[in-house]
Amino acid sequence: MWILSQVVAYLALLIEVVILVRAIQSKNFAKYSMFYAYLLTVLVTSVFLQIAKPTLSGPVYAVLYWRLELVTVALGCGVIVEISGRVFARHLSLDRFVKWVAIITFGAIFLVFAIHVAFLPHWKPVANPAELELDLRIAQAIALLSIVSLTGYYGFEIGKNMKGLILGFGVYVGASIISLTLRLFIGIQFSPVWKIIVPLSYVAALLLWTVALWSYEPARAPASPPEPTDVDYRGLAGRTRQALGSIQEQLDRTPDR
Amino acid sequence: MIQLILSLLVGFVLAVSLYFFARRAKPSAEGSAQQLREARQTLDSLQYGLLPNDLVERIFAREDLEYVFSAAPPDVQSLFLADRKNVALGWVRRVRAAVLELMRFHRGHARLHARLSFSTEIRLALNFAGLLTACRLLQITFYLRGPYAAPGMVRTAAAAASRVCSISENSLAFLNVKGVDPLNSGAARHRA
Repeated sequence: MWILSQVVAYLALLIEVVILVRAIQSKNFAKYSMFYAYLLTVLVTSVFLQIAKPTLSGPVYAVLYWRLELVTVALGCGVIVEISGRVFARHLSLDRFVKWVAIITFGAIFLVFAIHVAFLPHWKPVANPAELELDLRIAQAIALLSIVSLTGYYGFEIGKNMKGLILGFGVYVGASIISLTLRLFIGIQFSPVWKIIVPLSYVAALLLWTVALWSYEPARAPASPPEPTDVDYRGLAGRTRQALGSIQEQLDRTPDR
Repeated sequence: MIQLILSLLVGFVLAVSLYFFARRAKPSAEGSAQQLREARQTLDSLQYGLLPNDLVERIFAREDLEYVFSAAPPDVQSLFLADRKNVALGWVRRVRAAVLELMRFHRGHARLHARLSFSTEIRLALNFAGLLTACRLLQITFYLRGPYAAPGMVRTAAAAASRVCSISENSLAFLNVKGVDPLNSGAARHRA
């Protein structure tokens, strides 16, 4: 099991290097700056932890590991904001909605965190980093779900780059949520499985990102008639709303027979 | 335990959504000729094929039921009821499918607009969902209690779908040549 986890860890490092080198080579770094900053941070912290592991005691290493993990989770939230901005570049109100969902979810998590710290003097946040990570991962999942649902509902076309980013991030976040939850509830017996599932899902995400980001391919602008004006939209939405409102009213008044 | 279930549920929903996201077909070009033609066909089928008052009255005519029950033997009565039930179910199924198609068209049309009003879109989605639910309830009612179980609701659903048609007709108005609008004259003939 130890050998497998080492192989997976080194494989992840290798793929991260490949993605970053390719980004520099194809001049994509600036195009998805938050994502590449996230990946670079993960690479640096992983290398640092690999080097520091033999020299540190178990508890010290665990504290260091969780603190760095929380930093990368926070950067991951930035990646989701970047994805939303790119996917809804032409639809500011939808982008704003996703950002509000993210802000409200993160706000709720930090509010609960603050309440725990303020009113439970014996509650130590350092003692429960996995719980905090789970909460943050759930917030990421909710933001990702908003993006996926909205693009599905309106049928927006998404470029290969963004599709790969969403899929890779989703796979990793989903696997993290399920394995962290089971680890919290099953306990230490689940740790060996958790130590394999999370790195493997991360390697899967890295492979998806490698394929998706190999070359720059943004979503094509829709081949559509001239863009309608706001007045057109207000007319379309207003007519639809008005008529559906009266439909609903009629349905409510339907006599039972 | 609740936290366990909720967390696993979020993970599961995310996994399912990603599966469908990965398999999602490339959307057709917004406002493409094919899409517009299909929307127009759906609209015509609803307006002139499914919603005219005389057709709705014919399918759900109570006089037919009264006549059959007064003049025909029991086996013919049950045959008549089964037949009418199938017709009623087919009618509501086709109306629902057409409303779904029009909803899809509205979404396709709305995505062209850079400044969508999100609250308006939410309300519209809920309203469409309400109409679709009403159609589904009609299907269940017909299935369980026969075609004459909810005449008021049939009329209301037909009127509601007619209104959806007029909304969509406004959206598709640019397909009609100004001054020459045979569809409208057809509509006038069919509307009671």
